[in-house]
Amino acid sequence: MAEVILRNVTKRWGGFVAVRDQSLSIRDGEFMVLLGPSGCGKTTTMRMVAGLEEPTAGDILIGGNRVNDLPPRERDVAMVFQSYGLYPHMTVAENIGYPLKLRGIRGAERERQVRAAADKVELGELLHRKPRELSGGQRQRVALARAIVRRPTVFLMDEPLSNLDAKLRVSTRAEIKHLQFELGVTTIYVTHDQIEAMTLAHRVAVMSQGEIRQLDTPEAIYDRPADLFVAGFIGSPPMNLVTGQHSNGVFIAAGGLRAETGVARHAGSAVLGIRPEDVTVAPPDAADLVAQVYAVELTGEAVLVTVIAGGSRLIAKADRAWRAEMGATIGVKLDSRRLHLFDAETTKRLNPE
Amino acid sequence: MRDRWLKYMLILPAALIVLGTTIWPLAVSLTTSFRDWRLTRSLTPGPFIGPEHYVIALTDDPDFANAAMVTGLFVLFDVTLTVVSALGLALLLRRAGVLQSVTRAVLILPFAVSPALVGISFRFMFNAETGVFTWLAGVLLPPLKGFVWLADPWAALLVLVFSDAWRWVPYMTLVVLGGLAALPKEPEEAARIDGATEWQVLRDVTIPALLPVLAVVAILKTVFALKMFDQVVTLTGGGPGTSTVTLAYLVYSIAFRWYDMGYASAVAWILTALLVFLAVWYMKLILRKPGQT
Repeated sequence: MAEVILRNVTKRWGGFVAVRDQSLSIRDGEFMVLLGPSGCGKTTTMRMVAGLEEPTAGDILIGGNRVNDLPPRERDVAMVFQSYGLYPHMTVAENIGYPLKLRGIRGAERERQVRAAADKVELGELLHRKPRELSGGQRQRVALARAIVRRPTVFLMDEPLSNLDAKLRVSTRAEIKHLQFELGVTTIYVTHDQIEAMTLAHRVAVMSQGEIRQLDTPEAIYDRPADLFVAGFIGSPPMNLVTGQHSNGVFIAAGGLRAETGVARHAGSAVLGIRPEDVTVAPPDAADLVAQVYAVELTGEAVLVTVIAGGSRLIAKADRAWRAEMGATIGVKLDSRRLHLFDAETTKRLNPE
Repeated sequence: MRDRWLKYMLILPAALIVLGTTIWPLAVSLTTSFRDWRLTRSLTPGPFIGPEHYVIALTDDPDFANAAMVTGLFVLFDVTLTVVSALGLALLLRRAGVLQSVTRAVLILPFAVSPALVGISFRFMFNAETGVFTWLAGVLLPPLKGFVWLADPWAALLVLVFSDAWRWVPYMTLVVLGGLAALPKEPEEAARIDGATEWQVLRDVTIPALLPVLAVVAILKTVFALKMFDQVVTLTGGGPGTSTVTLAYLVYSIAFRWYDMGYASAVAWILTALLVFLAVWYMKLILRKPGQT
């Protein structure tokens, strides 16, 4: 068990900066998710913690010790790879037992620990199979068992669910969450999937272009995105973002959208953000905005209505029984408590906390 | 209808060339091996005598036994040295870098040198008085000063092995490099994190994953080593004594020094049978579908 600290860490390949002057402190036992689009530096950050990449500058500390100069084997971390990283010529039992073998644990004791780890991920029946005889989900369980078998101080998981099919992803996700809770091991988890980040993390670091844009709990990141990037990246369907003018606490956009924002100081161009579930369909006379229906999509649990007003599109979430013709004129209402206002220049959030 | 015949017409020239230069000589030599035919007595093949030549070769010919031994030892040393060196070099050249990519590019050069020339250059370099290797060995290991490599039976065989390995190692290194490039990197990284030293990663993960490629290299090299002929002619001449007479060189000696065409054909066919067996094994290995073992 240990905390992991990154202090002003930079990784550069030639002129390309993968991670820029990043500082991050992960608490003992915390489940930290690094979230971002591909190429944002999240995997590089994790690989530097593992020791598979060397930072160009900065310090990495695990449990208070600077590990920059230690090879991976001396860092006492375990890693689960996206493509599993199993040893193809070894059986499941040999795969799980390999870290123990390297530590000189032999015979019955090794067998006992392998079995205990395999049972924890429900692999007990498959110990004598080779990886190629297993399904993707089973292979990822072997990788998980290999990671937990030696009780490392830090778990590193690099998109462990990406190669699994959608159904398996949901059940394995819950298993990973339960496993981390049970073992209480500090965990760094890399993903581009916001649902995984929201469901698994104690805290999420949203990354873009080698920098952390926001570091907070999933709730805070969803409810109070720090800038336009985070606002647009988190949420599905994504947050509605409308460009307009803001002055004296009122936001006005082309097409007749007008909203009281409660932000006193900002004057000038701004971006108003509101999540689809905070936009409701209303009769035109009681609405904030009257607009034409552009598309109606039934998702099963709800109806997504895209309306078009003044050149910008807005998605509203309506009850699943709601229906309308394409091109019909309807009204939409914005939940004024859930408006987000961003500075169009700096992209930063303007609402008070 | 024309289309059906056209495809056969198109391969006919190639088929005729293969028939004329490979199949026909093979068939003639096979029949010759069962006939008594000494060029000193007759310009045309003599009567059929059954499998007598094969029986003599395999049971009652010290020359054949010696050549089989020499060939066996040569193959063993040559294949081992080539595979181990190619693997080592490939592992060194695997990392990206300017030095590595330049080396990879020039690596193919020794393979472009004709084997006969390799033999001649090695003969110069191991010359008792002026050879650079003779001199270098004397400087590095003083007891070897003045040692005449090509006059000692075992040393001559080793020189032959070195000359052939020198020619083949670079090419085989490229083959192994290709195999290394095709390996997924996650298992090696997983092993490093699991606590393995670089040596343990190599032994437990990299080499097991590379075994199919190493097997291909070993079989291919065995086939070529079994046919060893050029450097024997230009480097050792089979000597000293008969210590470097390989099977291929023995066939040549029987046929074109002692003019016993029937017996030479039989020995050649024993060698061919061995090669065909290895070639079939090799084809099975490389044509195997991925995922099988």
